[in-house]
Amino acid sequence: MLLNKFCGYSLPVRFEPTELTPQELELQRGARAFLRDALPQGSYEPGLGMDSGRDAAFSQQLAKYGWIGVAIPTEYGGRNGTAVDRFVITEELLRSGAPVTHHWVADRQTAPLLLKFGTEEQKRRFLPAIASAEISFCIGMSEHEAGSDLTAVRTSATRTDGGWLLNGTKVWTSNAMDSDWFVILCRTGTDPDDRHAGLSQFLVDLRTEGVTRSPIPFLDPSTHFAEVLLDNVLVPDDCVLGVIGQGWVQNTNELAYERGGPDRWLSTYGLVEAFIREYPEEAKAEQPAQVIGEIVAKYWALRRLSLSVARSIDRKEAPAAESALVKEMGTRFEQDVIIALQCLLDVEPRSTSASVFERLLSRAILSGPSFTIRGGTIEILRSVAMKGLVL
Amino acid sequence: MTPTHAELNELEQTANTLFVDLCTPASAAAAETDGWHPRLWAAIDQAGFTDVSVPEERGGAGGTPAEALAILRAAGRSAAAVPLAETGLMAGQLLTAAGLDLPLGVRIVVPPAGADELVLEGDQLSGTARGLAWGRHASWIVVLLPRDGENLVAVLPGPALEMTTGVSVVADVNLAGEPRDDLTFDHVPVARKSLAPVGTDPGALQLLGAAGRAAMMAGALSSMADLTLRYTRQRKQFGKPVSSFQSVQQHLVTLHQQAALVSAAVDGMLTAISNGPAPFEIAAAKLLANQAAVAATRAAHQAHGAIGMTQEYQLHQFSRRLWSWRAEYGNDRYWSSRLGSGVASAGPDALYPTITAGSAAMTP
Repeated sequence: MLLNKFCGYSLPVRFEPTELTPQELELQRGARAFLRDALPQGSYEPGLGMDSGRDAAFSQQLAKYGWIGVAIPTEYGGRNGTAVDRFVITEELLRSGAPVTHHWVADRQTAPLLLKFGTEEQKRRFLPAIASAEISFCIGMSEHEAGSDLTAVRTSATRTDGGWLLNGTKVWTSNAMDSDWFVILCRTGTDPDDRHAGLSQFLVDLRTEGVTRSPIPFLDPSTHFAEVLLDNVLVPDDCVLGVIGQGWVQNTNELAYERGGPDRWLSTYGLVEAFIREYPEEAKAEQPAQVIGEIVAKYWALRRLSLSVARSIDRKEAPAAESALVKEMGTRFEQDVIIALQCLLDVEPRSTSASVFERLLSRAILSGPSFTIRGGTIEILRSVAMKGLVL
Repeated sequence: MTPTHAELNELEQTANTLFVDLCTPASAAAAETDGWHPRLWAAIDQAGFTDVSVPEERGGAGGTPAEALAILRAAGRSAAAVPLAETGLMAGQLLTAAGLDLPLGVRIVVPPAGADELVLEGDQLSGTARGLAWGRHASWIVVLLPRDGENLVAVLPGPALEMTTGVSVVADVNLAGEPRDDLTFDHVPVARKSLAPVGTDPGALQLLGAAGRAAMMAGALSSMADLTLRYTRQRKQFGKPVSSFQSVQQHLVTLHQQAALVSAAVDGMLTAISNGPAPFEIAAAKLLANQAAVAATRAAHQAHGAIGMTQEYQLHQFSRRLWSWRAEYGNDRYWSSRLGSGVASAGPDALYPTITAGSAAMTP
């Protein structure tokens, strides 16, 4: 293919440049002031982005400002904000290593999912409880035979009087041990040739009879992972989420909320700040300065891409390819930061160290591989991005 | 005074139309042989692109540096073989800052890294200026000379003017075949000169040069991504388009990520430049562009295979420019250590505010 012209075309992926408005900057100032007061340095063990502590009281404090379920309309207890408002608040929480686990999934995923697919009754029942951080959610997707390929889900939901009977086992479910509810993807259809059509989503109270949760210790060895066994769990009709048989579409939609946000590039930010805090003189020497310079430039530009995705969501667009490109790049960067900083210091990392930097480093090394796996592996993300490029 | 992203985009698209029409792989090859693309330069001149950021009272179009940079991104997208950054943005800003009127014709600024050997004695300049883009075609040479703690902007006649004497040219080219000449001055009288205001120093000139290169690189990267995507969708091997192979798709993803990242950085740089000094954004944009030049050209060449290594196919017009521009106006080490020592000195509490607000957070 030899062309007699250069291209001069725009790219198939589009990241519209955007800046924060004065109102959004005001929100940012508010979040920063709140966090300075609520979480003074040294008063809490900082997390690695969304991989953080669980503190319901802290989440409820945030809720008082309307900073949870930001985009929930006021009639359901939210502040009727935007995806960019949520971006602004979330990035401040994550970069502070704040304990966000209690409200994380409900805020990021369940609330938008309910807004889009929930019934009026479900919205009235769950959204105010999410916005006030009273209830927490987790996500029941993966199974032993269904990781990246969710069409292989086998957990079944069969019709019964007044509802559905759920049977099966979900694994690698983050935060299942401490959550109140989960949104589960089940098989309701039996047609083996149409694996997409037979999937449905349900809202399940994790304290229902027949639900057994057991921790799957993580290698680090925290216990936020769990197996959830469902043995004839009765789910009433009013807990069917969306349309029976539409679970695949709904779930794909849900995954879009997971991608491209600050949680996909800020997980190891705390290490950089802690490094400069604990090694102020070393940080200025040429080699460390180069490493920090490269890292900061990348944060700045990745953030602009990520913000552009949030703005695009507010325009009701579906930036699936853009989100996938950002997440693929952002999560690899999160891992690169760990190695780049570790190479600057001659330390043997200990989780028990008195140094915040060393504790974060230890945890980051151990949990780092999960960054490019959770919420869609980078291999899957590349194929999602490619669909956007080729179409 | 501050153009919006939409306005900048509109201007860039207008410029794009001009460049796409006049810059073809054939014209780029011809410009490389002859060292000049006269039709393109005439069109650029006529469109007023060389004077965009110069105030009207100095003979310019009264626009902003951001607008000049938006045009440079379009120029990079078409691999335009012309000294637009030098004549327009750099000479324009330097002369305007010093309160000098803009002389007509090709104006080439001596890069800070190439001005060390120049000596001004009275009103006469001697010594060698190194690495001047299209120096042989310059009607005027603009140089910033640090002197006794102050900076002097001087304009000298260039080799392209018939009246010029005492200037000898050693012609050379960068890796993309773009002229990068050394000019030796032998007691050449200065045509105009003026003291530059505080802040107009070699560091500021380096930033200006880097901003221009970053914008051009953003354009070149997006064209390279687009070209590679189109090629891999048409090229068939093993009976199907090579773009359907996952290992090739990985290169396409890398390319588009790098192009998007540098574009986002340049967009941020344009906003910051419109609002004030933008050392953070320029440094970050140039650094990211430099890094992308490596990662993206590697992916693009790998995805193209052998044809990408030939002169007849146009990929090299982008990859060779990216490799060249990467080394001009500050390499990776230069900008990363500047950025890093800046943020490390500002301390841990200033780190995130700098990531969100850039230069505005660093200069209270």
